[in-house]
Amino acid sequence: MGRYVVRRLLQVIPVVIGVTFIIFCLVFALPGDPIQALAGDKRADPNIAAILRAHYHLNEPLYQQYWHYISGVFTGDLGETYNGRAISDIVSERFPVTLKLGLTAFAIEAVIGVVAGILSALKRGKFLDNVVLVATLVLISIPVFVFGSVLQLEFGMNLKLTPVAGIEKGWPQSYILPAVVLAATSMAYIARLVRSSMTESIRADYVRTAIAKGLPRRRVIGVHALRNSMIPVVTFLGFDLGALMGGAIITERVFNMPGLGGQLAQSLYLRERPVVVGLVTLLVLIYLVANLVVDLMYAVLDPRIRYE
Amino acid sequence: MRGAKSAKWVAIAAVVALGATACGGGGGDSSSGSGKGNGVVSVEIGEPQNSLVPSNTYETEGGQVINALFTGLTKLDASNKVVNAMAESIETKDNKVWTIKLKSGYTFHNGEKVTAQSFIDAWNYGANQTNAQQTNPLFSHIAGYSDLNPGEGKKPTTDKLSGLKAVDDSTLQVTLSGAFSAFPSQLSFTAFVPLPKAFFKDPKGFGEAPIGNGPFEMKGKFKHNEQIDTTKYDKYPDASKIEVKGVNFKIYSNPDTAYKDLVAGNLDSLLTIPTSGLPTYKKDLPNRTIDEADSAVGYIGFPIKYNKAFQNADLRKAISMAIDRQTIADKVFLGARTPADDYISPIIDGYRKGACGDACTLNVAKAKELYKQSGGLPGNKLELGYNADGGHKEWIEAVANQLQQNLGLKVTAKPFEQFQTILNDLDAKKYQGAFRMAWSMDYPDAEDYLRPVFSKEAIANGSNYSGYVNEDFEKLLVKGDQAPTHEEAVKNYQQADDVLLKDMPYIPVYFYTLNAGFSDKIKSMKVAGHQILWDTVKLS
Repeated sequence: MGRYVVRRLLQVIPVVIGVTFIIFCLVFALPGDPIQALAGDKRADPNIAAILRAHYHLNEPLYQQYWHYISGVFTGDLGETYNGRAISDIVSERFPVTLKLGLTAFAIEAVIGVVAGILSALKRGKFLDNVVLVATLVLISIPVFVFGSVLQLEFGMNLKLTPVAGIEKGWPQSYILPAVVLAATSMAYIARLVRSSMTESIRADYVRTAIAKGLPRRRVIGVHALRNSMIPVVTFLGFDLGALMGGAIITERVFNMPGLGGQLAQSLYLRERPVVVGLVTLLVLIYLVANLVVDLMYAVLDPRIRYE
Repeated sequence: MRGAKSAKWVAIAAVVALGATACGGGGGDSSSGSGKGNGVVSVEIGEPQNSLVPSNTYETEGGQVINALFTGLTKLDASNKVVNAMAESIETKDNKVWTIKLKSGYTFHNGEKVTAQSFIDAWNYGANQTNAQQTNPLFSHIAGYSDLNPGEGKKPTTDKLSGLKAVDDSTLQVTLSGAFSAFPSQLSFTAFVPLPKAFFKDPKGFGEAPIGNGPFEMKGKFKHNEQIDTTKYDKYPDASKIEVKGVNFKIYSNPDTAYKDLVAGNLDSLLTIPTSGLPTYKKDLPNRTIDEADSAVGYIGFPIKYNKAFQNADLRKAISMAIDRQTIADKVFLGARTPADDYISPIIDGYRKGACGDACTLNVAKAKELYKQSGGLPGNKLELGYNADGGHKEWIEAVANQLQQNLGLKVTAKPFEQFQTILNDLDAKKYQGAFRMAWSMDYPDAEDYLRPVFSKEAIANGSNYSGYVNEDFEKLLVKGDQAPTHEEAVKNYQQADDVLLKDMPYIPVYFYTLNAGFSDKIKSMKVAGHQILWDTVKLS
């Protein structure tokens, strides 16, 4: 067990090196000059631009630039942006916002999605089931920014229940609405996933046995049927935690939240290779950890699965 | 079950660890003064490009903050005229040696007195290439600039501009390398403000919490991408003229969101109403809008220096005459632009209404005739380049359609990913087509609409991407620089403008307008040079 976890964690190292190099190459290949980008619509002064380029090693070949970056990372220095801010500052400022938003969304989609799925499976073909099916269909088909703008207009501007934008009011007020928007699509998928796998489990032999044994209904549904139907759901949730972090780009923009998504978009636009690489690496790490947790959860859910 | 149990614990530990970082990060939940009646006004800005060092701020977002925190020697008044701010008087005999007397009573927010030396130190820092400040070229008129900028790979031999001298604490003498009549208006740019001694000890830290000499002081640090909070500085000499008790710069990444916040009453001032709000903003904000000329000009440019097809001025004029500017201003921009009829913006002293005359007026028959006379374009084909990231697609496509219809050309609108990609291709002489361009002023003077965009030196250092050169134009600029009075300088600059209007290196297409809105907390306010004039803001 412990060995399994260590092995999985060691796998992270080559993945991180590979990913950072690929991202570095991709951003390097984009046209546009980061130093000119600093000057906006005006021409950067040639002398000053040359000095900045030399300072940030921008006139060196790709592999040397990558070397400067990655050797810095291993000594704990994430580098600085082209306007002189430490990347570690940016990450520590913005990561909490995105993480809070992501985890809130994660909680919303897990709880509401699973509950809706169970209810729908238990009342198959009835009114409630149809409501869930129609609601999830709607959520899946509306683009995120439309859904976000509509909720913002209704709850923020008309009803004034939540702030329109920003994070001034802190958690939870400022985070609830964006988290709902961010969670919406996945919530719908989870509800459908739970519904179909529950439907299958309910018909399974071991559930019939449990009922025949005279176990209370609550225990039959909650433990015997649900536990077994959770495996595909947990797989989806694990994958989705990483996706939420990345998917926050649109939501953060609509709700003007100073999170990683907005920073990633901005840095990509300004061609700030070290920032883009640093942020993407962070997202990759979250993916890897989430997947590790998912794998370990399998063993909890299904005792037949062991990692020795 | 042993394996399963320990797996459970590892999983729980991992989840707890994730949760802990979420809470431990903290931050971002302080409340700001947006409650009504406390005199604090919130203002929309975008995230400043650099940290808040005046000489490193060359864009309007950070410029607005610098303008609230610092006071320079001159400033703009409500009619865009340059008036003295910290300067008591500015005198010169030959436009070359300037004697500036300072008003007394100004202190930095840490109590330090503002002296002539505070200006000299700040300008020496800004002009030194070692510090790589964005506004470095603005200091180039001051004598000794070239010693501080020997070029890449070379170290300056001195760190002082030879043209700066403190006669005494309140008298500053500036010697320029040549006559330059627009110097006092250049001084209104935020790069020329003074800096306290504390800056030079820790420029980086200063950029996060600047100490200025202006009407407002920082309240805490610059909270990146969130807000910059300031409060009124009570020891500011003109503090009694300012009603606002503090300015909270709220940072937005999306103007549509800022507009919603403004309408909902969570934001007090928005200087640029987004396109989505333009059709309704006057109804959404009754009597709380500002609708006036702004400083920027939009052009279509031609790579004259290396594409022979564009070297005929009549051809460029023919294209200009085939553009229906009014339709573009009204239909494409919904009134957020006005048709351009000069190279100089309407807010500047020296602008002449209709100066461009026939050449900027739609006249299909004449355009066709002129086009034929000029020999036309090879294959009757024209490419119009624009950057796809800045909302230019619509108007460029409208121009393309108009040219296609009115001149019978085959026009393709070519999107570039970013503005820089066009500029890079132009520098490399790779791109052969016409391109969109724009210029917004650094300081309110006719000269600033001519030299940085069309002069010989602007080919390497400015925005002269067409590579246009005309010696008469250069001579008239110098004549304007040396003119003994402002009126005469304007006259000379207008003559230089006339040369441009004859040659048309770029086609002026539209002037930007300022479409701003404010909340019911503000009774009235004035804006000049895209900056709120804080002494004109009246609260309701």
